[in-house]
Amino acid sequence: MLGEEMQSGSTVPLVAGERAGATVRGATRAKPRKWPLREWLLFLLFIGPNVILFGIFSYWPMIYSAYLSTRRWDMISPVKVDVGLDNYRYLLSDDTFQKVLWNSLYFAVGAVGGSLILGLAAALLLNQRLRGRDGARAVIFMPTLLSGAAIGIVWAYIFDPRYGLLRTVLNVFRIPSPDWLGDPTWAMPAVIIVYIWKNVGFTTVIYLAGLQAIPRDLYEAARVDGAGPFWRFRSVTLPMLSPITFFLVVTSILSSFQAFDIINVMTRGGPVDATNNLIYYVYQQGFVAFNAGRAAAASIVLFVAMLIVTLLQLRYSERRVHYG
Amino acid sequence: MATRLSRRSVLKGAAGLAAAVPAVKRSSVFAAPAVLQETGSKVKITYWGSFTDALGEAERGLVQRFNESQDEVEVEYQYQGTYEETAQKLTAALAAKQTPDVSLLSDVWWFKFYLNRAIAPLNDLISKYNVDTSDYVDSLWIEGIRDDVQYWIPMARSTPLFYYNKEMFREVGLESAPKTWAELEAVAPDLTRKDGDTITRAAFAHPSAGSYIAWLFQCVVWQHGGRYSDENFNIMMTSEETITAGELYRRSVVDGWATTPQDVNTDFLNGLTASMMASTGGLAGIERDATFEVGTAFLPEGPAGFGCCTGGSGLAILADKPAEKQEAAFKFVMYASSPEGTAWWSQNTGYMPVRKSAIQSEEMQAFFAEHPNFKTAVDQLEKTRPQDAARVFIPNGDQIIGKGLEEITITKSEVRPAFESVQKILEEEAKPVLEAIEALRS
Repeated sequence: MLGEEMQSGSTVPLVAGERAGATVRGATRAKPRKWPLREWLLFLLFIGPNVILFGIFSYWPMIYSAYLSTRRWDMISPVKVDVGLDNYRYLLSDDTFQKVLWNSLYFAVGAVGGSLILGLAAALLLNQRLRGRDGARAVIFMPTLLSGAAIGIVWAYIFDPRYGLLRTVLNVFRIPSPDWLGDPTWAMPAVIIVYIWKNVGFTTVIYLAGLQAIPRDLYEAARVDGAGPFWRFRSVTLPMLSPITFFLVVTSILSSFQAFDIINVMTRGGPVDATNNLIYYVYQQGFVAFNAGRAAAASIVLFVAMLIVTLLQLRYSERRVHYG
Repeated sequence: MATRLSRRSVLKGAAGLAAAVPAVKRSSVFAAPAVLQETGSKVKITYWGSFTDALGEAERGLVQRFNESQDEVEVEYQYQGTYEETAQKLTAALAAKQTPDVSLLSDVWWFKFYLNRAIAPLNDLISKYNVDTSDYVDSLWIEGIRDDVQYWIPMARSTPLFYYNKEMFREVGLESAPKTWAELEAVAPDLTRKDGDTITRAAFAHPSAGSYIAWLFQCVVWQHGGRYSDENFNIMMTSEETITAGELYRRSVVDGWATTPQDVNTDFLNGLTASMMASTGGLAGIERDATFEVGTAFLPEGPAGFGCCTGGSGLAILADKPAEKQEAAFKFVMYASSPEGTAWWSQNTGYMPVRKSAIQSEEMQAFFAEHPNFKTAVDQLEKTRPQDAARVFIPNGDQIIGKGLEEITITKSEVRPAFESVQKILEEEAKPVLEAIEALRS
């Protein structure tokens, strides 16, 4: 539709993708077109609602956060004291914040790695012609739809070292159950397990779609060349899935940085900050300790971290990802 | 055609959106004028509360009893979550100018709203209604006073209490609770059961920071002769006395007779710990749910003798309300802390009766005879003293100290470095409070 309008010389101003832009670049350069007022109004009408919503709920809060990060404010007082970069200095020197950064990384690697590997494994399995496959596909996707808070409560019960379900299961194999949520070394793995359980359905579904888009003849060609199952997977499936993997890595890292509901319900960032991640730290500083300035500074750090991930992934993807 | 259609529907949508905004506003619970007219002279006010389960039912019941007791004021009860969540929502509500008329605020939160002039001074209303302030339990009443002005009226007030499983203590030959920490430490190994390295039954249990370990430990510090801070915010976390108290907590976990469960009350009820310190506020629920004989006692003494703090929450009226609403709210506050109100509330929860006449009343005395554990709590109340400024007046002070204690009870860290870091943070966080107090006085 986009291409069609461009070709018919329509003047509807749309931000065209690079490919579409290339086809008309010559024409626009030759004859710059002035938009009549009517077209401008139409343009504003179309982009208006989107820009207004983004402006109010995304851009403005972001700008305001940057401003607040230079203030000391308890969220009630009429005065916001200008403290320059003190809040950032505080974060740099705060032991808790160092731990929070490490935790965020730990969580991202564990949660993203886990859900990608398990998601791919489940997708490969569910891509076979097995009995009950459709039912299994539905079941594996279901946790994605559930509320994180509800999941957190159920899993807190499962993990309980004395009354929990997991303990009953482990008892059968005579393995002692660790105090998952009460022990600083086990709390993070526990939270990651729950996060993977909730999100693996999403990666599975996306991988399944990717698997089904791989042309059959590639496998046939590989077979003719004498490739066994491993090499067919290694040389056909994996490279053909790389755009999907790229997409999943980016979206999963970004959403893992924002994992809040499960942590808030299961551990409240504890024990002793073992599961305190960036987003939870922002919440704690902002809405528990009422240090709006520090919370804003931490949220800017979170924003920059996410920006860096996105930029790195974009660069990397241009070189390595195979777009069929 | 398609363009025109969508343009029209977009405009329609926009118009609809614009129309919806005032409609939503009008139906908001806070815009009461329309309701006021309908009910004639009845003033409708909103009350924010913080209790769930049995306590929540009692809180709701208290509001209902007030509404039925008179026909001038109608209170709408709105549950807001924990003490912390209530304070968070009130903060947001102040920014949005959508506050309730009266709110429950815990011991550690009312001060923040006082510092920002968000809660109303009540001296005028107190004299207008000739409130007999001397009938309030002194230690509870004076906590709500700043510079001779009353801001916070005691309601759900509690103290820590020593709870113990009588059957387990009998097994080790104790008919009553240990009088000192040393006595508890001596019998602790006998009370504890182990399966390899796992403690299957502990002698004692510590709550998490989120469940107010810093509130309970405050008493232990006092029993050892220390304090979190003095009233001028001089932090005393690293004094020898405070460290010695911390060493007791550290020994309890290193020697393996105390645990740090997710929920201390649940562990106690399930027989997984033989004793605990916990709020009197849970007493009614614990007595109801326990399958064994529950004993209560004064807190164990330390080298410096007895020490016990007050706790819990009280009521504050919002400052930005018209006089009519504040007066209506005050009537509710006075009912909730009246001898009848507090006696009813106390029997249904375990919180302290806040009026001396209520404690002396025949009704309460009869209740004590039936429930000796409540009697222990009320007897102990007389020996309590107000809390240290570092915990209740420094924003988040409770959680800052709590986290230091978690390092000791959960990761078994050394006491001195843990408290040194708490000391540093508290000193830093006290500065803005001191500035705010200064600003308020000038």
